[in-house]
Amino acid sequence: MIASNRIADGSFRVGVGLQKAWGVQMATAFFFGEAGAGLYFVAQFFDFVLGMTVGLLMVLFGKAGGHVLHLGQPLRGWRALTKVRTSWVSRGLAAIVLFIVAGALHIIDVRAGLLPAGVSQLVAALALAACFVIMIYQGFAMSHSSAITLWSSGLMPVASLTYALLNGVLLTLVFGFGEPFLADRPDTVRLLQVLAVALMLYGLVTVLSLLHGARHASEAGRQSVALLLQGGFARWFVPLVIGAGFVVSALMMLAAPPDFAWMLAVAGLELTGYYAFRVLVFKAGGYDPALSLAYRFRH
Amino acid sequence: MARWGMVFDLRRCIGCNACAVACKQENSLPDGVFFTKTLSEEVGEYPDVTRSYVPTICNHCEDAPCERACPTGATYTRPDGIVMVDRDKCIGCGTCIVACPYDQRTRLEPEMLDKGLFGDGRLTPFEEQGIGRFTVGTVVKCTFCHERVDAGQLPACVATCPTEARIFGDLDDPTSRPRQLILERRGRQPLPEKNTNPRVFYID
Repeated sequence: MIASNRIADGSFRVGVGLQKAWGVQMATAFFFGEAGAGLYFVAQFFDFVLGMTVGLLMVLFGKAGGHVLHLGQPLRGWRALTKVRTSWVSRGLAAIVLFIVAGALHIIDVRAGLLPAGVSQLVAALALAACFVIMIYQGFAMSHSSAITLWSSGLMPVASLTYALLNGVLLTLVFGFGEPFLADRPDTVRLLQVLAVALMLYGLVTVLSLLHGARHASEAGRQSVALLLQGGFARWFVPLVIGAGFVVSALMMLAAPPDFAWMLAVAGLELTGYYAFRVLVFKAGGYDPALSLAYRFRH
Repeated sequence: MARWGMVFDLRRCIGCNACAVACKQENSLPDGVFFTKTLSEEVGEYPDVTRSYVPTICNHCEDAPCERACPTGATYTRPDGIVMVDRDKCIGCGTCIVACPYDQRTRLEPEMLDKGLFGDGRLTPFEEQGIGRFTVGTVVKCTFCHERVDAGQLPACVATCPTEARIFGDLDDPTSRPRQLILERRGRQPLPEKNTNPRVFYID
């Protein structure tokens, strides 16, 4: 049987087509968005100024910068604020703008105590809310795309939030190492470590469920999952996303001594796995053939 | 107001791709950009194998996901149902490309317009007259040849098709040929599970 379900990839053949509109620049922007927002989110609970500042800068330069590099017409980028009612990209940009303004104000306020108490709390709440939207909206922007089965899952926002929180916890353990809020309270360090392991397990289950759902949803989903687990991307996806990003980093965190190098290694492994996840899920996203007689024949 | 749509008769399509050539000529499309393609596939098992052809085009969906996803409002639907892209508003984010289930949108990269047909950076007179229609970094797609349609003509691909496998007309008019073909031969929309309600139908 000559099946129609092979990857056509731009040829004049019926088959699954891989998306190419979003690539490494977009993946990098997503990476910095979720890592930076996650770091800010966790750091704000401890009033950890260095963590908040680094998180804000990651969103400002990494995420916003990545998006600007990706745009075909970057000077018109402001127009993306005009369709907040229907577009997740638009909502995300609004959240980024709000986060940068409110987050910067909050950091200055924590350092200098400029704002009155009521206004200070309002700014902190706004920064946290906008930060939360950045942690999760990328998942919604992807799951909103019913065109690409691998992305079109309700688990995508859950994966985004889990990764963002995990990145935030690990980066807080790294940047906050030796800071009073961790050094004076070993129980807080232990709590963050347990939280990191729990998030790693939850993230692993979420990613596997995402792949399971896509595999059984459509031909494109099946091909995407096959690419990630058995095909050309498997040599990156399995060892980096599953191995380094979840399994090895969780085991290392469980056995972690109170050592900076160890924390750095765990965070490095997890972030490597997360970046690989972003890039590979973009690259493996595929469209179903609009109409396939062979597929109908086979089924 | 008419509601334009198209029917593809799969029994008639012979895969000659004259539609794609006519489209490229009408719209002065750069190298590598297609608004319509005729895809082929082999169906069946040896010795009972045949080749079938599937013409594809922007489906001008009633509930266009590209329009919903567009963060700038550059993608919009005309009152007659033709989905358009305003190149002055498009920022080239590609969100519409990943939102379109039919993979019918292309972002114009600089090399597409600069390298020329022969790849040496020199544009042919045909390319020079057409380049003004495009803005680098923005997204383009089929417009059902809206200028021709507004002038009462058929889209270039429909006018060119030698086997009349493409039938264009008003889907709201019960006497129009596409409407009758859809009813008589049970026209079906591509990927109906995506809930986009395309204005393009296939009959076989």
